[in-house]
Amino acid sequence: MGNEAIILFIILGTLMVGGAVIFSYLVSPKVPQKMKEDTFECGIETQGSSRIQFKVGYYLFAILFLIFDVETIFIVPWAVVMKDLGMVAFVEIVIFFFILGLGLLYAWKKDALKWE
Amino acid sequence: MDISNIIIMRNELSLIVVVLLLLMAEIFSSKNARYMLLNVATGLFALHTILGFLPTETGELFGGMYRSTPLIILMKNVLNIGVLVVLFQVQGWLKKPENNNRTLEFYLLTFSTLLGMSYMISAGDFLMLYLGLELATIPMATLAAYDVYRMKSTEAGIKLILLAALSSGIMLYGISLIYGTTGSLYFNEVMGNLQMNPLQILATVFFISGLGFKISLVPFHLWTADVYEGAPTNVVGYLSVVSKGASVFVLVAILFTVFKEMAPAWNPLLMVMAIATMVIGNLFAIRQQNLQRFLAFSSIAQAGFILLGMISGTTYGMATVIYFILVYVFSNLAAFGVVSIVKNATGKDNIDDYNGFYQTNPMLSMVMLLALFSLAGIPPLAGFFGKFFLFAAVAEQGMYWLVLIAVINTIVSLYYYLLVVKAIFVVRVDNPIEPIKGDLLARMGLVITVIGILIIGIYSPIFEWVQSVSFGL
Repeated sequence: MGNEAIILFIILGTLMVGGAVIFSYLVSPKVPQKMKEDTFECGIETQGSSRIQFKVGYYLFAILFLIFDVETIFIVPWAVVMKDLGMVAFVEIVIFFFILGLGLLYAWKKDALKWE
Repeated sequence: MDISNIIIMRNELSLIVVVLLLLMAEIFSSKNARYMLLNVATGLFALHTILGFLPTETGELFGGMYRSTPLIILMKNVLNIGVLVVLFQVQGWLKKPENNNRTLEFYLLTFSTLLGMSYMISAGDFLMLYLGLELATIPMATLAAYDVYRMKSTEAGIKLILLAALSSGIMLYGISLIYGTTGSLYFNEVMGNLQMNPLQILATVFFISGLGFKISLVPFHLWTADVYEGAPTNVVGYLSVVSKGASVFVLVAILFTVFKEMAPAWNPLLMVMAIATMVIGNLFAIRQQNLQRFLAFSSIAQAGFILLGMISGTTYGMATVIYFILVYVFSNLAAFGVVSIVKNATGKDNIDDYNGFYQTNPMLSMVMLLALFSLAGIPPLAGFFGKFFLFAAVAEQGMYWLVLIAVINTIVSLYYYLLVVKAIFVVRVDNPIEPIKGDLLARMGLVITVIGILIIGIYSPIFEWVQSVSFGL
């Protein structure tokens, strides 16, 4: 059947990942200290639990920022070769902006941009 | 680039226009126009559905990434009709006071998922297929979590998005293996380069698993019951009919074309999955008390029957699969229509709550009876012919033992469908659900489904026409 290759693939894949973890566990020197086991957070001591609730607004803002991100990704390559692509590409990019703009306008109308 | 033949993409273009119009209406209209806009949205979609039946050109676009054939157009029309029936049923739920600040969004999200499914069906390239799949999945999770004030609905949304992410990951892995072994993502180029080597078999299995989640085949079915129970009833109707139908169609079309050479690999796999799906779906359905969960497991069992048509691998088999989806759209939406009318009016969705339902609501009871008998496959309803053709396709290949298993499963399924019928018609109680009058559109939706159930089974040219556009291995 020729299944050897696939079995070899699975075994090697498991061995390489598992082996690396086990190997580094075996050869690394272990000097346990209180400091070392602390959570690393920019060098500042951590306080309280990290399982807290935070405002969903942060999340919304991050997603809305994506609109401008995507816009840039598409507008820069288009602007570079705008003359060669001609009218069709121009119409297409206008449609693209129109759709993105509608999305932002919708979020605006729904008060997603209001910070209370 | 030449865009003169962009009209080939008419179905998607008109859907995009509808979505953008509704989005603008949502942004610029006043709050008072809210309920009027629901009818506008339904009307626009009805126009879009009718437009889909006008004759159109077929061909390829974007260098073969998008293609359109008579079969693909047929499938999109089936899905459009399914969505239209869902839209008819949905208003009673959207007009509840809890949904006050989000009514039109349901239409926006539904149409977005439908757009994704259309692109998925029309894809001529694995990348396009994947993009369509994601567009069909992500808004679906928000639809499942539409009743945010109910914990269970939120849970359904989160479960759906997590498992969709997992299944997408598995499927992407399969696609990456295909690209690695053939050097192309275009269906036409991949087709010639598959020759049953082990990595390609692995890719096929991953690909089937990824779509198996969407169709909720055993062993990828566990999300189904929880999501179907938690999500709003109308969304479940949409999820179990339209979403599942689109995925089934994509699976059968791709297995029969792109993975044609791999048939010796996927055929036994589908056989095992079909048997497991039928048996487990049926056994779990027997013990369900909640009607939405019950319909979830019944839809798992139905997915098992659909796989039978794919196993045969013939033109006839493919035609039976598509025909069965068409039948399933009407039968299942009729059942969900009744459940949603009752749930929106009373909030009850347990089978016990339906005791003595016939005493007070004879019309709704009759629709439910037709729907359940069609799902179970009792002649002369459409469901019988759907199942009969599926079994015939398998028998044609000489796999009589498989037909035997399927028939036994049909009989088991008859038992639990009849349990619901018994609750509605036979059991007498003192305080059954009070008489319910659904709104006009919801009743219209039920009428459409009933006509579908009665006509499709009897009017044979439909099947012949489906067969004329189908293809086999």
